[in-house]
Amino acid sequence: MAGTVRQLALRALSLLAVLLAVLVLLVVVLGATGFSDNLLRAQVSEDVRAMRQSLSQTIRDPAELERTIEARRSELESFYGLDEPWYTRLPAAVVRVLRLDLGESRSLRTASGSRDVGAIVLERLPFTVLLLTTSSLITAAAGLLIGVRMATRVGTPLDKAVAYFAAISFAIPGWWLGILFILLFAFQLNWLPAGGMFSTPPPQATWPRLLDLGKHALLPIITLVTVSVGPYIYTVRTMTMTVAQEDHVALARAKGLPEGQVLRRHILRVAAPPIVTGLVLGLAGSLSGSILVETIFNWQGMGQLYFQAIGSLDEAVIVALTFIFTLLYVVLRFFLDVLYTILDPRVRYA
Amino acid sequence: MSEDTYPEPPRLAPGVAMQQPAAIVVDQSAVEAASEIEATGDASPPSALRLFLGSPSGRAGLALFVLMLLVSIWVLLTYPLDFGSAQWSNPAYWANNPRNAPPAWSTAFSGQAAVPQTVVDIDQPTETTTIPAGEVRLFSAPVDFTYDREPTSLILTLNGVTFASRAPAILVSLNRPDGGQIRLASVPLRGPRPGETAPYRRFYDVPERISLGDQPAAADAIARFYADRYPDAMLPANIESVLPAALFGIPAADGSGRIEPLHGDYRIDVQTVVANPEDEIAAMRVTLGGTVFGIMGTDGLGRDLWQGLLYGFPVALLIATLTALLSTLIGASLGILSGFAGGITDSLIQRASDIISNVPTLPLLIFIVSILGRHLWLIMLVLVAFSWPGLTILVRSMVLQLREGQLVEAARAIGASRRRIMQRHVFPQVAPFIVAQMIFFAPGAILAEASLSFLGLGDPSIPTWGQMLEAGFRTGALYVGYWWWVLPPGILIVITALAFMLLALALEPVVDPRLRRST
Repeated sequence: MAGTVRQLALRALSLLAVLLAVLVLLVVVLGATGFSDNLLRAQVSEDVRAMRQSLSQTIRDPAELERTIEARRSELESFYGLDEPWYTRLPAAVVRVLRLDLGESRSLRTASGSRDVGAIVLERLPFTVLLLTTSSLITAAAGLLIGVRMATRVGTPLDKAVAYFAAISFAIPGWWLGILFILLFAFQLNWLPAGGMFSTPPPQATWPRLLDLGKHALLPIITLVTVSVGPYIYTVRTMTMTVAQEDHVALARAKGLPEGQVLRRHILRVAAPPIVTGLVLGLAGSLSGSILVETIFNWQGMGQLYFQAIGSLDEAVIVALTFIFTLLYVVLRFFLDVLYTILDPRVRYA
Repeated sequence: MSEDTYPEPPRLAPGVAMQQPAAIVVDQSAVEAASEIEATGDASPPSALRLFLGSPSGRAGLALFVLMLLVSIWVLLTYPLDFGSAQWSNPAYWANNPRNAPPAWSTAFSGQAAVPQTVVDIDQPTETTTIPAGEVRLFSAPVDFTYDREPTSLILTLNGVTFASRAPAILVSLNRPDGGQIRLASVPLRGPRPGETAPYRRFYDVPERISLGDQPAAADAIARFYADRYPDAMLPANIESVLPAALFGIPAADGSGRIEPLHGDYRIDVQTVVANPEDEIAAMRVTLGGTVFGIMGTDGLGRDLWQGLLYGFPVALLIATLTALLSTLIGASLGILSGFAGGITDSLIQRASDIISNVPTLPLLIFIVSILGRHLWLIMLVLVAFSWPGLTILVRSMVLQLREGQLVEAARAIGASRRRIMQRHVFPQVAPFIVAQMIFFAPGAILAEASLSFLGLGDPSIPTWGQMLEAGFRTGALYVGYWWWVLPPGILIVITALAFMLLALALEPVVDPRLRRST
């Protein structure tokens, strides 16, 4: 037990290093190219303008007003660290982002009009999580169910078909498949909405509203599942097949154990860790895939926000999203690592 | 504790984790071919080649790859080097083309009437008459109009005019098969500016485009001609709004006020009156705007999509091969170094690989490219920087295994140097894996660049298939059903990625004996 905790703690440390490395990279790139200075300057000018508005009400003498404002400006500049080179601000910047203090956006807003990047991202996060978890769960379930069945049919035409499906779905960019689905299901057949999250006007009652959301989520989820399920079925099929050929399985069968028990206790139990690894590797794909798939389907999640931020050159949002996507990825990886540790005794007792 | 205690999943390519883990599809016939070879105990290089070529996926992959290579070479030989910035991203270059026109062959299926894009170049006058004030030259462009639809435009392009004193007068008229002679336009030419010296040159840098199909003068002329020649016909209320159709048609006999196309031989005459015999017009071109265009149609700027699609081949191959080569080089060298050096070097490399392999690539690519600039080399650099660790981890574990093996032990026992052991006993065994992995990197790189381009972060000076898709998506081509714009680039991306996948699939049983026994 102590070994498990130690393993997981080390793993957490390693993933934390990933997070820190990405953060440092972000801050260095922003600092070295002068972007961070520009961002902070814009912030200072914004503050100074607001101050001029309020101070001009109380200070009537223009010279006095200018002097006060100049004093406050240099105060603000030293507060934001603009009077020192960017690398001395580096640790503070890292800490700020780690505390999810992400600054203010240039043009993007929340529904209620806030410019706080944290609030903007938080508003979008649930929709991305909804899309990602649903499609990942479907992929995992379908991959396990079909993959295990395929393992007993190796070499059959069906098995070959699955193999080629896996290869092709790996080669298809998810976003392009989404385009095809929109052309087919939304415009040709007119079965499903082409994009967005709610009909106009959106239903107000809870259940019709959820149903409406589900209807709009269907095509993006089908797209995400289609591109990820093929390779995963193939991974599961190959892992299961490899374990099924081992001697201990033959022994289990020779003992006369029922086939179901052989499959569950002797094949799947052994094949479980690499199958989880397959999920881990698929995760990066789904996460990146969701950025583009959300854009295609006009799904108001973080991925689409990314697209908008690139389009409107909103650096603060781009930085925040890069960090949040890494954070999300690292958290999910850790979750799967915990699963891995539970599944693989060799890791626990190493 | 580290990744090393995790059993490496044997058949997952640690390629660029952009899309999905690559599940390697075992080609059954390759496996059969392999077991044959295994049975005879012959595993020399020729049989490996036979094994590779013996599988359908190997042959298909190789055929696709050779085809793409040939297209790329052809493109590199025939396209100008600055195709991207000078032509593709330059709207003026495509100004004469119809916008959003489907491919010419598409009407064969839909059965709709169509006018193909017709271009007539004229450089020699058909007739020259000397008059007291100089010379009258007549340039003629014959147009055989046999289509059941009106053209989208009628454009005259003047490329370079030189004159010594007075600016030439240029008159354009249309000769119709029903005897009509319609004055279309006169081209105003700016005379000498103060301080300018002869010879005066006009329209050399930017060709002059005259849209003959929407000149008010032309509308008046055709209206007068109609009234004269077809006095009983019902004419459209506003003839200017149906102008290109009216030029190539007659009023419908049913009195509906519609214009019907008139088939026959038309001629566009450009009459120039020059003051000096040495004045000249370098080149002229008459363009009859099509409702359909070429092999692959045009996009919203009138760009010939076929040219863009072809240009995408060398770019995709460059991205794939260069990225794969560099990541493999770095990954394999660090893996071998890590496995052999051990100690602190080993731990450093392993920690670095562990961290870098856990970074999600696309978000970082988006960040770096949007901050540092949209350059193809930068995209490739970032892809290389984040894709080597998988191979490093794999190669290191293989080297460790081999290092403890009996072969290396025996070599060490007879006094072979470390260098010799590396070169003769370790590297040859790891090399096939490295080659297979290298091919596996390729589709990931192509897909990553396409994704990035689709987000609008592609290199503007180098058109790619992803950028063509992005333009289609951004301008809403998807929603109005311009399939010729959104399908072909995507299909080419898939085929290119698939070609590399097929090559890698066929290589797997060659390099991994475990797969040969797995049936």
